[in-house]
Amino acid sequence: MVVCSTAFITLGRSQLKALGCADLPVAVMPHPFGVRSRDQVRELAVVLVDEIARLATGGGEKLVPAGTSAVTVAAAAAIEMPADLIAFNDACEQRHWSDGLPLVPPTAARVEAMLAGSRRRRDEVVARVAPGFGVATVERIAINAVMAGCRPHYLPLLIAAVEAVADERFNLQGIQATTNSATPWIIVSGPQAASLGFNAGINCLGQGARANATLGRALRLVMQNIGGALPGAMDRATQGQPGKYTFCCGENEAASPWAPLHVERGFAATDTVVTVVGAAGTLNLNSHSKDAADLIRVLAESLVYPTSNDLHFAGEPWLILSPEHAEVLARGGYSKADVKQLLWAQSTMLAGRYARRDFERVVHARGAELGAISAETALPLAATPDGIGILVAGGPGTHSVYVPTFGQTRAVSRRVGD
Amino acid sequence: MSDTQTVLDPVASVAVVGSAGVFQPLTSLQGRVVGFIDNSKPNFNLLADDLGELLMSKYGVARVVRHRKPTASVAASPAVFADIKKECDLVITGSGD
Repeated sequence: MVVCSTAFITLGRSQLKALGCADLPVAVMPHPFGVRSRDQVRELAVVLVDEIARLATGGGEKLVPAGTSAVTVAAAAAIEMPADLIAFNDACEQRHWSDGLPLVPPTAARVEAMLAGSRRRRDEVVARVAPGFGVATVERIAINAVMAGCRPHYLPLLIAAVEAVADERFNLQGIQATTNSATPWIIVSGPQAASLGFNAGINCLGQGARANATLGRALRLVMQNIGGALPGAMDRATQGQPGKYTFCCGENEAASPWAPLHVERGFAATDTVVTVVGAAGTLNLNSHSKDAADLIRVLAESLVYPTSNDLHFAGEPWLILSPEHAEVLARGGYSKADVKQLLWAQSTMLAGRYARRDFERVVHARGAELGAISAETALPLAATPDGIGILVAGGPGTHSVYVPTFGQTRAVSRRVGD
Repeated sequence: MSDTQTVLDPVASVAVVGSAGVFQPLTSLQGRVVGFIDNSKPNFNLLADDLGELLMSKYGVARVVRHRKPTASVAASPAVFADIKKECDLVITGSGD
């Protein structure tokens, strides 16, 4: 039996259905629950226990059984839609296919052209996408790629990104359904990043490059249309973030003093690799420092705040270093591993800075990792220095970017296939 | 020019897996063992304390088994599943905040 608050009933019911347990009873209580006082919890329990007893003994509404059908991989259905582009987009909005921006109609001819960008079979199953666990076939991914405006040769990268977010370590279930702002940030590294037109330089996280814009957008459409996370239904984000429309950039390998990200993560230099990060947002870090140790100090101080998910769960926060900042650090004699070690050591926070309730949560969440936690315990952002991700990207300027994460997620990399 | 065009459906309907009849109602709670999987969200531990007491005092539940996930958005460990399968007649877990 599941207990949840009114704000989560849609998510709870949808997930039970997706997992084949639609007949499990759900005891519902008023939202918000977590902010109630001790006495208010007790008052609620007195009422809720009767509801639990009633449901446990079969007193709930008789729901339609979930059925016994196995997952079927049917070809995408053909649907008649208005030919007029404006009317087509109005219809897409009504069908909840859209992210709010205009879509390209996925005609059979356009989908065929998109599929030609990959050697994978159109009926091949790439992943099942949480939280609805819809089946992502190559064909269905291609349909969403057409709608997002992708060029056909982006399709192998999108397939790799779908595989990456579906990896258990990424925790797509959590990222799709959370009240947090989390969304996948796609990093493209390796030889094809530049040749396919991915912007890794000036304004690489902003507008202007079709590859960045449409690959990130297509992954969002896959997560919404195949994963089923519609805002207000299974997507419970309190505000979300602009990066939920698209969040993708290349690695500025040419301007980086260190080995590329994909090589650091164990791939061949000749591989093109997609890495996904469960990003909570971006924060501009502006420093004119030309001293490596001083720059590390101010960057590290900028990474800690007492409402951080990474701090709370020992996450995997990322720093996008501008080429100028990376050069200052490299000229100071630091390798990328040195930078990680120094940032990790200098970005701890005393647990006493937490709000009282958050302190209690971190004592539980990180107890296994850190042992007994007191107000004087210095909490690191990640379990190990390597847990801090570093990417060199962007153009000229003294700006680096902090990308805090959902906390309960790990970056996942996939080699881009044919 | 036609008023309509044929497009391919981008949506995968929510997959149905597993089987029906997952939930078997109990005839009564008397003498039963009830498990809690605490999702670690604020106050669930207190709610489980109170519900456990009330289930025993008011409905004759024999005993309560408690488990707590490290964080809400990750699944309980296989050891937890094994334990509740062995021990419990009814399991209550929290979802969301």
